[in-house]
Amino acid sequence: MHRPSWTREPLVHFLFGGALLFAFFAWRGEEADPASRTIAVGRAEQAALAQRFEATMRRPPTDAELDTLVDQYVREEVLYREALRLGLDRDDAVVRRRLAQKMDEIAGARAETAPLDDAVLRKWLAAHPERFASDTAFTFDQLWFENRDEADTALAELRAGADWEKLGQTIDLPRSVEARPARDVASRYGTEFLAALRSGKADGRWSGPIRSGFGWHLVRLEEAAIGAVPSFEDLRADVENDWRSSTISQRREDAYRVLRDGYTVTVAE
Amino acid sequence: MRAFQRSVLLAAAVLTLAACGTGSDVDEAARGNGENTIALSEFPDRPYWGDTHLHTDNSIDAFGFGVRLGPEAALQFASGQEVTSSTGVKAKLDRPLDFLVISDHSDGLGTTRRLYDAPRIAVLAMGDDTVLRWYDMMHESPEQSQRAIGELIAAAANDDLPPALLSSPEEQAENTRSIWTAHLDMLDRYNKPGRFTALAGFEYTLMPDGNNLHRVVMFRDGKNATGQVLPYPGLNTKVEGLWDYMDSYEQATGGQALAIPHNSNLSNGLMFQLTMPDGGAMTAEYARRRAAREPVVEITQIKGDSETHPFLSPNDEFAEFGVKGWELGNLPLTRRTTNDMLAGNYVREALKRGISLEEKLGVNPYMFGVVGSTDSHTALATADEDNFFGKHTGNEPAVRDRALHGQNLGTNVGRFGWHYLAGGYAAAWARGNTRAEIFDAFKRREVYATTGPRIVLRVFAGYDFTDKDWDGDWVRSGYTRGVPMGGVLADDGRAPTFLISALKDPEGANLDRVQVVKGWVDAKGQLQERVYDVAWSDRKGRRAVDGKLAPVGDTVDRSTATYENSIGAATLKTAWTDPDYTVAQKAFYYVRVLEIPTPRWTLFDAVRFGIKLPPEAMADAVAQERAYSSPIWVKRVGSAADEA
Repeated sequence: MHRPSWTREPLVHFLFGGALLFAFFAWRGEEADPASRTIAVGRAEQAALAQRFEATMRRPPTDAELDTLVDQYVREEVLYREALRLGLDRDDAVVRRRLAQKMDEIAGARAETAPLDDAVLRKWLAAHPERFASDTAFTFDQLWFENRDEADTALAELRAGADWEKLGQTIDLPRSVEARPARDVASRYGTEFLAALRSGKADGRWSGPIRSGFGWHLVRLEEAAIGAVPSFEDLRADVENDWRSSTISQRREDAYRVLRDGYTVTVAE
Repeated sequence: MRAFQRSVLLAAAVLTLAACGTGSDVDEAARGNGENTIALSEFPDRPYWGDTHLHTDNSIDAFGFGVRLGPEAALQFASGQEVTSSTGVKAKLDRPLDFLVISDHSDGLGTTRRLYDAPRIAVLAMGDDTVLRWYDMMHESPEQSQRAIGELIAAAANDDLPPALLSSPEEQAENTRSIWTAHLDMLDRYNKPGRFTALAGFEYTLMPDGNNLHRVVMFRDGKNATGQVLPYPGLNTKVEGLWDYMDSYEQATGGQALAIPHNSNLSNGLMFQLTMPDGGAMTAEYARRRAAREPVVEITQIKGDSETHPFLSPNDEFAEFGVKGWELGNLPLTRRTTNDMLAGNYVREALKRGISLEEKLGVNPYMFGVVGSTDSHTALATADEDNFFGKHTGNEPAVRDRALHGQNLGTNVGRFGWHYLAGGYAAAWARGNTRAEIFDAFKRREVYATTGPRIVLRVFAGYDFTDKDWDGDWVRSGYTRGVPMGGVLADDGRAPTFLISALKDPEGANLDRVQVVKGWVDAKGQLQERVYDVAWSDRKGRRAVDGKLAPVGDTVDRSTATYENSIGAATLKTAWTDPDYTVAQKAFYYVRVLEIPTPRWTLFDAVRFGIKLPPEAMADAVAQERAYSSPIWVKRVGSAADEA
């Protein structure tokens, strides 16, 4: 089934979510008009206050504590409404910034509140494979030499059938590497060595010498397993982090753009 | 319309609440300490690289200095992703790190950000002129903001923070709780056993009279344990209080924590005292707790190098690295440093003091390993000379003549931008990359410091090592017939032999030499030290004259900030036996590896941005970067306390 594209529009989610909540609070009898001078603290509000208390203190409030909570609630509500009546919400830089920030938060909120659908993440992975591309995994043996001519001599000996384990000079680098990702090879042997390895042939024969930051190497490349793509299951957490941080900023920007389009802005020269 | 606006606010609140419950989709393996999550090698097979000291926008000073990157950007950057710095420059580490400890100041966690976000009327209502002035400065311009934070640090150092800023303890705790919880969730999301380790931590900012006694506290565990506590405040507390806090954390959660002191060079003699902090005789209990709680010290970072000082080590020709500027006084430069304070300021002397205190107390309070780190306040863990992102956002590369600026730590008499080092890294010898493995390497001191280059350094001590060991599986020999760095070799009456292998950074400069630094207490009770050159490049061409090895040379072209690896060696190794071993003398040995001279960040800046450095800075624009191993102690082993 193919849904029309507007159903995927973040702003639609955003407005729809707002409308739903509005409807919900309207249905609950939430006092929505600050101009009213009636404040009713119903059972539902009291229960909510008690619940919040319990979440913090790990026990229900006593009657006296609940009375205090209700007093505080009423006090806040009175001051809040009077502040609005006096227009204190206007021309206040911080209220402005806070409200703008909350709009941003709502736009990004759907991205922040998983549980996420695997299908969304799989699609993200398919759209941005380069961000998750698994490294080529290399399997090879190598011998190190301080000088090139020593490496050349050893290569000739190897081709004449010498035992490789008896050749090479001592250095704190593994002689044999099994199925290590390119990133590990680079951190151990350096980027110059990795580049040479990438352009080498995985034919199981000794070749070289190739250069690294350390000197010269003879290399026997057994395998360069390219992009055995990690399974989605292995990557899920990575994909999710990437999806979240990219999507949050994208949604904020999209939502802003849609709203911004409704305005005419003139900036005096 | 009002009603709609209101419902939008409520929607935001509801959705924000819902967001608090998202920890559940993080891999189970990533949330704990990483035990039993990956296959481990038999012995530590490679050093894992990390930074244990990084600040983000949750730090009271970093935010004021202008950083707008938070912990997520810090984790992304350290693990190899590209981020945009606070000054708009795209930044990516060409070699990612293996682990990271984000160490935001526990005091006023998030305070500056909250102050910045607060309505001006609310700040007015605080009724504190100073706070209001800082608030206005922060909003005025980045420069003014940095000035405000300079004043704030000075006030903190002088114990003079306006009470209004600190709000009520309950309110503070609640704010800290929400930041800490969100932070721990983030760490669990980025922690990837086997690939990248995100460790929880914070900075404990103890600073009596501006004398720097800061520690980074680092945890072994995931949120299930660390979420049960809050970061411990530093101002107006005692270090024993921090240790109590760590004790109770471990008892309550079954987790583990350790503390890493740093910038002893700015402590005016207080970091490594011979006495208790109050001046009384040191007790064995204090010494035992200190050794157990603080197994590692940060020896090098952006604010200077704390290995030693030419005054303490007159025979060490390489003792002045990272000393200039920093030696003048304490952190905010409110008090000058005098020569008699230096012994308590530097690591080498502390190691000596530790042995001498052990003779009196039976336990060595200063039995620690060493790491390097950045202490960057930019959320970017950079430590190389060619990628220095600045101490804080006020001197990111966007500020082209940053090398010439005075520093904004209160007064700035005599300390300039060019005194900053590019920062160091911590290397941990571990069997795999998990929280537990990295933490345990710190705990057993099998860690080392570099001033940035990824030099691979192995050290083992034993009694039957010879150069023949290099032909076989010498790593196995090292672990089975000796002890690695950070260990204790039981004195059996023979001179110890050290198997030392140093490998250059494959992307960096060649090595000049390997040195062993030995410290001991002589028969008269005097503290002694000696630096031995034990391996060097061009063995035939360079000979020691009067006990001094000829310099390696200098290939740095000052006009282009480039150098050649035409001198020096790729690897240096030796089996070295102490020629001056004395039976039953307690001693420590650590290894220092020097690179050939290379350009410092200041020279890169001068060339890149066409800045003319003053002569003094120019003379300091080329340096020999280095690695410091953790020590190995040689002593009679008897009591259990020795193994602390």
